[in-house]
Amino acid sequence: MTEHFDKTYDPYDDHTQPPHRVLGYERTFKRTPDAPLIVRAPTLTERTGPTGLARRLPADRADLTRRTPDGPRALGPRIAVHGRIIDEDGTPVPGALVEIWHANTAGKYIHEDDAFDAPLDPHFPGSGRVVTNADGGFLLTTIKPGPYRAAPGSWRAPHIHFSIVGPSFMDRMVTQMHFPGEMLNEYDLILNAVQDPEARSRLIAEALPPDEETGDALTYHHTIVLRGHV
Amino acid sequence: MSKPAATPPTAWLTVGPFFPRSLIEPTCNDLTRTGRKKARGTPILLAGRVLDRGEQPVRNAVLEIWQPDAQGLFAHPADPRSADADPNFLGWGRSATGPDGWYRFRTVMPGPRSDNAAGTRLPHINMMLLASGIMRRLTTTLFFTDDPDTEDPVLSSVPRVELRRRLLARRAPELDDNGAQAYRFDVITQGDGETPFFLD
Repeated sequence: MTEHFDKTYDPYDDHTQPPHRVLGYERTFKRTPDAPLIVRAPTLTERTGPTGLARRLPADRADLTRRTPDGPRALGPRIAVHGRIIDEDGTPVPGALVEIWHANTAGKYIHEDDAFDAPLDPHFPGSGRVVTNADGGFLLTTIKPGPYRAAPGSWRAPHIHFSIVGPSFMDRMVTQMHFPGEMLNEYDLILNAVQDPEARSRLIAEALPPDEETGDALTYHHTIVLRGHV
Repeated sequence: MSKPAATPPTAWLTVGPFFPRSLIEPTCNDLTRTGRKKARGTPILLAGRVLDRGEQPVRNAVLEIWQPDAQGLFAHPADPRSADADPNFLGWGRSATGPDGWYRFRTVMPGPRSDNAAGTRLPHINMMLLASGIMRRLTTTLFFTDDPDTEDPVLSSVPRVELRRRLLARRAPELDDNGAQAYRFDVITQGDGETPFFLD
């Protein structure tokens, strides 16, 4: 198992990662450092991370379509996100903590700072948390989030926020999953901050056409690649 | 030379302004209570403000810390001495800032470490900042002393003495809490007194 826990971490590639400052996203210009980031060789502190997190935090929150198992269902189309966490070699990352949160079907977050004029859904919990299985896989059932206006003239395409705590400080990942075929994908400032079209397309989930096997949730597949290779 | 990677890592995107409170359990910022028993070592309080350009407080920022236990060990397979690590210390914590930009952690004073391949490590805590307007995380490492006789590899990588001083958490007796000595560490994301951040 040791090979899963002591990897090599190359610096991120600025072509496949977004810039720190994004034109039109004003806050990026006052919250990012002016000084260049300092290069350091990863020490043991960077090559390690919390391995027991899934046992310390509730990590069985896989169903975001209800607040309680028998409670009323949240509004919006139900979706099943079959996800997988792998490293750069394609090796599965088991035991990773996967956290998600997103707006409800009307585009409203459960957060006191969300000023978007849309209703809250009392039956939508807003967030979930699971841990990846031996194959790096996980399943989350939720409702499809709605788009919302982020600033005058600027709308966010429907998206799900993802936070992954992997086996090291180096492979910690925070990103967003988008939906295929959305008109707003072309105009979304955050998604389009990523310059490389291939890297951008990997931020969009794959929708599976419904068939006899499809239950009462539309199926999406999504893979997230954590940094690190053997 | 490492072999070329098959797939580059997924692109980071901002945490946004709405990180949910439901993902920050009450115990998340108390690292002394994550095990069944109390963690070994000296409890400390680590607190400070997150400020952006013009020293404006950053609200709803998410801070995560990662640190060795009181003996300088990690309960992680990459640490050859992990078997001796404190089983009641997770080493990881998460806190969010309030409207005034303040964050707060309760933890134990990390131990120094002398047999690390990278060199002798001074007591230190890694910190990661996520917030609206930060597309990729900002990472830094804070220290408690700047011992001129110890060549900590991370501290040594910081180019100027003046910048190294910004990585020191300062004793703040006015914040002492319930027997825990308090240390203050402000994170300034841009401008005068900008915190040194690392390319991790």
